[in-house]
Amino acid sequence: MKRLALWAGPLLFVAVLFYWPLGSIIGVGLSGDWLQTLVAPQVSSAIWFTLWQAALSTAICIVLGIPGAYVLYRKRFSGQKLLRAIITVPLVLPTIVVAISFSSFRGLPPILLIIVAHVFVNYSIAVRTIGGVWATIDNETEEAAELAGAGRFRTLISITLPQLKTAVVSAGALIFLFCATSYGIILILGGGLVNSVETEIASAATLFLDLPKAAALAILQTLLTIAAFAFSESITKGAIGIEQVDEGGPRPQLDKRDWLATAVTFTTIALLTLMPILVVLVRAFVHADGGLGLANFVNLAGRGDRDLLNISVGQAALNTLRNVSISTTISITLGTFSAYLLSRPIRGKRVFAQKFVNRVLDIGLLLPMGISSVVLGFGFLITFGGGPLPLRSSWLIVPLVQALMALPLVIRLVYPALISIGNDHREAASTAGANAGQTWWHIESRMIRTVIVTAIGYALVVSIGEFGAASLLAYGDQATLPTVLYALISRPGSTNYGMAMAVTAILISMTFVLVSAVSFRKKPQHRPSQNAVS
Amino acid sequence: MQIKRIITIAAAALMAASSLTACSTGDATPTEVTVVTHDSAVFTDEVIAAFKAETGITIKQIKAGDAGAMTNKLVLTKDAPIGDAFFGIDNTFGGVALDNQIIDGELTAVDFGDVCLNYDKNWFAAKALAAPTTIADLIKPAYKGLTVVSNPTSSSPGLAFLAATVSVYGQNGFEQYWQDLKNNGVKVAAGWEDAYFTDFSGSSGKGAYPIVLSYSSSPAFEVREDGISQTASINDGCFRQIEYAGVLKNAKNKSAAEKLVKFLTEKTFQKSLPDSMYVYPVDTSVALPEAWAKWAPAATKPVGEELSISANRKTWLEQWSAIFSAN
Repeated sequence: MKRLALWAGPLLFVAVLFYWPLGSIIGVGLSGDWLQTLVAPQVSSAIWFTLWQAALSTAICIVLGIPGAYVLYRKRFSGQKLLRAIITVPLVLPTIVVAISFSSFRGLPPILLIIVAHVFVNYSIAVRTIGGVWATIDNETEEAAELAGAGRFRTLISITLPQLKTAVVSAGALIFLFCATSYGIILILGGGLVNSVETEIASAATLFLDLPKAAALAILQTLLTIAAFAFSESITKGAIGIEQVDEGGPRPQLDKRDWLATAVTFTTIALLTLMPILVVLVRAFVHADGGLGLANFVNLAGRGDRDLLNISVGQAALNTLRNVSISTTISITLGTFSAYLLSRPIRGKRVFAQKFVNRVLDIGLLLPMGISSVVLGFGFLITFGGGPLPLRSSWLIVPLVQALMALPLVIRLVYPALISIGNDHREAASTAGANAGQTWWHIESRMIRTVIVTAIGYALVVSIGEFGAASLLAYGDQATLPTVLYALISRPGSTNYGMAMAVTAILISMTFVLVSAVSFRKKPQHRPSQNAVS
Repeated sequence: MQIKRIITIAAAALMAASSLTACSTGDATPTEVTVVTHDSAVFTDEVIAAFKAETGITIKQIKAGDAGAMTNKLVLTKDAPIGDAFFGIDNTFGGVALDNQIIDGELTAVDFGDVCLNYDKNWFAAKALAAPTTIADLIKPAYKGLTVVSNPTSSSPGLAFLAATVSVYGQNGFEQYWQDLKNNGVKVAAGWEDAYFTDFSGSSGKGAYPIVLSYSSSPAFEVREDGISQTASINDGCFRQIEYAGVLKNAKNKSAAEKLVKFLTEKTFQKSLPDSMYVYPVDTSVALPEAWAKWAPAATKPVGEELSISANRKTWLEQWSAIFSAN
């Protein structure tokens, strides 16, 4: 009973901010002729495009990611850590920044550009996930196979790849999920001529005011993402994460026989990752009139050409800072608390019933992860506009929606960590007379400190870059950095384009510094178990 | 007991949070009026100062995308409007505003602009090619790959031109015209700025396309050092966009909003329109700038007035998208 009372906070949060809007969407969606909507030619072509581009982007990521994982995680060479950091930068960049980075190449066919941008973002998921597992496989079987006369390629196919299968599927499902729910990249690089499920939802809601259509598509999108998620879960049992890197064992030096994998990987990093970034960094210093200098950065104090923006870029950055501090505080507090409650050992009678309740709670709290931010923004728009909770007119709506999006990630990171540290310490503390709060504060929270720091990082990344929901909910002087960037890039006259480039360059540089700081920091002696982060 | 208390506290906290912004109502003498506009609307410092001197009220402007995006945002937020008044809903979206009952009172016309194709005179002179004179010319082989327009789903001049083609070629013929345009290498940019500043050869971007969808007034802003405009407008197939202002339903400061709407039709603001927004004042007694008489005459025979755009917009855009969709 007492535990149920403690659950009230997180459950109320998720019920009000997720299940209520979801209910509104389902209600509106089913009120219209949803079947007719989904089979209309333009909609079915958008659905088909969403699926095949996500599948193709995923396949390319995996094909490039396998040699990448080999070179960057299985082998060893100097400069390896730097390259790992470099490929991670695109993954944590706001998607709007990625889209702006690729907008310099807008002469190319839009669909090609979209797929390249998706591979740019997700390449490191494949490399890190597969690499993390590859690094831990021992060499002996492979060496034995080679001694027995199997060629390198055959060894790879018949010995190594089967061991990497779980990692490949896990990475693939995650990449597919990201590409299928991609919004900002398709919106900007598609130039309004490429339609995916996500852009159709946004345009049905904001261009045609066709709420039943938007809702029907939102339901479809949610089912799609939940399916991808469930598929990944069923294969991997939640055991693999992109933070899983075992630096323990000695790894062989990169040698001449690795030339093919090395060539593929270095070319990929140079052309796919570095080139677009360098182009933006250069263009940030090119003025509207073609000269070089810092004018684009100076202009950031203003509101763009003919005062396009409601607030300056600097003020938008402050809004973003305010929003992410609130959303991260909420998601970390509620997420850690939920994980703590989920991880409590089950005692006494009705173990089965309690386990069942725990599982339901677990899934119920994770479900928001399956919702794209455009869908969530749309749900908020139709739920909190008026009615009993007119949240929409408050600026808090943006940090709340971002907190909701980060919450499942936080739980996903902290819960396994709490499970992995076991119960011994708790029993010892209890014997020594400590209560649950003291045990948490003095012992458990310290044991999982690295995980909480990681969770804060993830929550920040989710909140800083969030564009889909903010584009529907943040008006006027509440604009965030991504929505301001979108306004600038979609009104590229005179100074605006250069300003967008300047902000993009700043964000990329900051991200690079942060990612490098994390990758090069000294690892603590006792890391939580490998399963801790998934 | 405890559960109930936690729920009550949490609910109270959420309620308090949501009502934070709603506290400023009930002020008898408003000092600020919030006007929602499209991204191209400009209130100059002189205009803001004049309104303040006249009424004691400060204008706060919220830009909400192009005319279409702005209208739809106002519809989606009509229960708790994001402003008191609006300015810039045009005749292509006026029907949406009226149908959804977001306006308190009526639409008040403030200005108009003619969406016409423009061309780069220097480019055609250099190529010794006669410039196009009608929109039908654009599908001729001589003008292959020379035209850039803006996407009608995401830009209001784009939608205006789509309406013009429906008016000229009819409900049954406009698709063929667009198919022909596509076959003749028309480029569709996402917005007017992309088309005009990036792709058009006659403006600052010095792009590759010498024909662009813009306004009849645009040539007045391309006058070079020799006092001659580099561009000209094609006086055919032009669509007249009329921009309206009005008071939003459920506005917090209704009286201030009414004052503002009235002010927008008066001389001070009307005079500022050509230079700050490139449009013609609805008050014809207001003198236009000198360059306008020479380089920016209004269209003589605008088309499309007869169309019922709000009833057909979705269908037309779907038909258009079927031709131009990249996937």
